[in-house]
Amino acid sequence: MSRYLVNIWETVSTLIIGLGVTFKHMLHIRRGYVTLQYPEEKWPRPERKIGFDHNDYNVIRSRLHVDIDDCIGCMKCARACPVGCIHITTVKVPKGVDLGTTSNDTKKRLLVTRFDIDMSECMYCNLCTYPCPESCIYMTGGPNSGKHPIDYEFSEYDRSNLIYRFANISPEEVERITTPPAKPETEGVKA
Amino acid sequence: MFENLPYPDLILWLLLAGLLLFGLMAVNALAAVYAERKISAFMQDRLGPMGQGAGFHAGKWGLLQTVADALKLILKEDIIPRAADRRLFIIAPYIIFIGAFIAISALPFSEYIQVIDINLGIFYLLAVCSLGVVGLITAGWASDNKWSLYGALRSAAQIVSYEIPAALSIIVVVMLTGTLDLQGIIRAQEGLIWGILPNWIIFNNPFTFLAFFIYFISGVAETNRTPFDIPEAESELVAGFHTEYSGMRWAFFFLSEYANMFIVCGIATVAFLGGWQSPVPGFLDSGGWGLFWFFAKLLSLIFVMIWFRWTFPRLRVDQLMGVAWKVLLPLALLNIFGVGLWSLYIG
Repeated sequence: MSRYLVNIWETVSTLIIGLGVTFKHMLHIRRGYVTLQYPEEKWPRPERKIGFDHNDYNVIRSRLHVDIDDCIGCMKCARACPVGCIHITTVKVPKGVDLGTTSNDTKKRLLVTRFDIDMSECMYCNLCTYPCPESCIYMTGGPNSGKHPIDYEFSEYDRSNLIYRFANISPEEVERITTPPAKPETEGVKA
Repeated sequence: MFENLPYPDLILWLLLAGLLLFGLMAVNALAAVYAERKISAFMQDRLGPMGQGAGFHAGKWGLLQTVADALKLILKEDIIPRAADRRLFIIAPYIIFIGAFIAISALPFSEYIQVIDINLGIFYLLAVCSLGVVGLITAGWASDNKWSLYGALRSAAQIVSYEIPAALSIIVVVMLTGTLDLQGIIRAQEGLIWGILPNWIIFNNPFTFLAFFIYFISGVAETNRTPFDIPEAESELVAGFHTEYSGMRWAFFFLSEYANMFIVCGIATVAFLGGWQSPVPGFLDSGGWGLFWFFAKLLSLIFVMIWFRWTFPRLRVDQLMGVAWKVLLPLALLNIFGVGLWSLYIG
């Protein structure tokens, strides 16, 4: 009989202790909650230790970016890609049209009308970033943080949005640049 | 006021009352689900549904979360298993809902607001609370699923066993107040004891204090809440008797569960905590404030039920039955004896 009553007493007292614990946690929610409210709050992306200094070797693997204004259309990156996910179309401009220079003061001779990288095929090997003479194709962040800080959330709702289209020239503009200006009639001089 | 109305008018008033009660049940489910999710989250050191952020989100502090859930449930596909007993499958949620609905309609929300005011008040409530068992067993059987059947039968055993201590605790209240009428029970609890404590039945003598807890524990067990939620034990029976239900049918079970919580807490406040009366007579005592006090007490009891759910581990089915028959029943009988002696020689 006394065992019975002791059981009841122990049950009730330990239950009340338990209630106190949860109540305390409820009142102190402001002090300690473990929820990270993504996307307002994000954990910082950790540095990756790869064996040598990031500044010496471009091995960050994040997301490809092209500074299209620096591209000279040499297609070395497209040839280097093992998967073949870079598609570049260039157009020769007629004589006399000036396309400007890259940031390394190299004269641009070809007009890049299409520069598509299909990121759903890309395998992030970085092989396209090494041959570029202008260093205009690179992975964001890491040693390239000055040009383009890292972002790691490039998920898309539609797979077709994973084809990154870097060329920023409209067809009308291509038409305008590649059409040679009307030449005045020259009589006679034919070599 | 409504006794001598001609029939068309009476029917219209009843329809209006029915609609209001249904609205109350729906709002109760929405608010209780939101409260449960937030309170359980805070108790577990997390934040629960929150609403900041771009895009379709759930309102500030997640207030629109239950609205979003309700919309989702309405739009879900209605699946009935091929081997299920079709008619019973469809009827089962409605039986439980009807049981909960007619019980809510008898609760005295304030001195003047009560849909069914009969002088059998509390007897009616106790009787109607047992209708839910029929719906549960029907759901478990009609699902043609072994685990649903186990859940349903365990639930039937549980509810029937815990009815007894609950009813015996209510008998204590009836003994003290001498009436079954709910408004009469509430009116018998006015005034103060020793000048400071409100004259609620819970404070009347130590036996009634115990009776309140026995009633409350039995009430928690009757609504299949943790720690007594073996019938819908998530980790053991998938979802117990409502495994095979989806979309709106499941929403009815859900609505009825929260309505049952409402009823149990309602009966507890009416019988033990003084119903719509204010704890300090004279302070916020006039007619309209009764509604406020009733809901304040009821919502605190619902908070305690939610608190219980997220603190205690679940009881095994044999421990559950042991508690009902070996602990609560003897204590409830002892209470009746004790209250009788107390009122005879002391009270």
